[in-house]
Amino acid sequence: MKRESVIFTFTGTIVPDSFIAFARHRAARLDLPLALLASDDNSVAVAVDGQADLVDAFDMACSLGPHDCIVLDVERAPASPALFESRNERMGQ
Amino acid sequence: MSLQGWYPLVLARDIAPGTSAGTRVEGKEFVAWRDDKGAPHVWEDRCPHRGMKMSFGFVRGDHIACLYHGWQYDTAGQCRYIPAHPDLDVPKTIKVPTFGVAESGGIVWGTFDAESEGAAPSPDLSGDITPLRTVFADCPAALLVERIPLTPLDGITPDVKATAERVIEIGLGDVTLIAGVQPVAEREAALHIVATGSPSADQLKRLAHWAEQLRRDAEQAATNEKIAEIAA
Repeated sequence: MKRESVIFTFTGTIVPDSFIAFARHRAARLDLPLALLASDDNSVAVAVDGQADLVDAFDMACSLGPHDCIVLDVERAPASPALFESRNERMGQ
Repeated sequence: MSLQGWYPLVLARDIAPGTSAGTRVEGKEFVAWRDDKGAPHVWEDRCPHRGMKMSFGFVRGDHIACLYHGWQYDTAGQCRYIPAHPDLDVPKTIKVPTFGVAESGGIVWGTFDAESEGAAPSPDLSGDITPLRTVFADCPAALLVERIPLTPLDGITPDVKATAERVIEIGLGDVTLIAGVQPVAEREAALHIVATGSPSADQLKRLAHWAEQLRRDAEQAATNEKIAEIAA
């Protein structure tokens, strides 16, 4: 299956610690490496890399967010695979 | 509450190859299922996808498929196939927690702590066993066991002995029963009863009626206790 490296920017009413923990948990469940790029009270930007269907599943999961956050918008942009190269080399991918 | 040791879950007869059954121990939910080769499995009763009970699913060969979206899991609990994403190489992280399982004395047993897994289950019965029935009762497990000697069969007072953890032997005249005691929840219990030897059909019928009487008696006693608590 095709692989994708994607930067997601989730905006809305965000509790950064809660949202980041939620995103890390979902990424781990989907076996996607996650890089935290930026966060504030209105947004969190993360990059993930993996099979396209799993990246889409991550998108869906995080668009719902944890109970104390309201995600109003999700922006999706290509990420540089270099962000994840060291991990993929370790995994032989 | 942590679950330690082996717990009786279902009569082996009552779970045919290719079927599954939901059960609970101390309120925690588990699925017992048997693959098409006859091997039993005990797992957490929850699909990692959307939380549907796996016991509602379908056994297909050596896989069990969730009823909700058809995610299929192998005998190790690993998800192997997602129908909506047929080309996906399913990650190793999508897995149902599995537990130790054994079949002994006509009963399927489960163990939920790592230390007990691999230990011999109780009871270690290798003789001639005839499954009788499982009795579910709305009362604590201890009360259900306490009421056994108070429920005679044709004038015979049952002679009850604990032979191992969660295992009792019940002497009823010329018949001896072995029962696995399952604490289903705080006020719910099950007895998985087998008879030693090969009682006649008539004896089995009488014993089954006795087990029903035991259930009614124990539930009445539990109700009386509750009324007394409220009145106090």
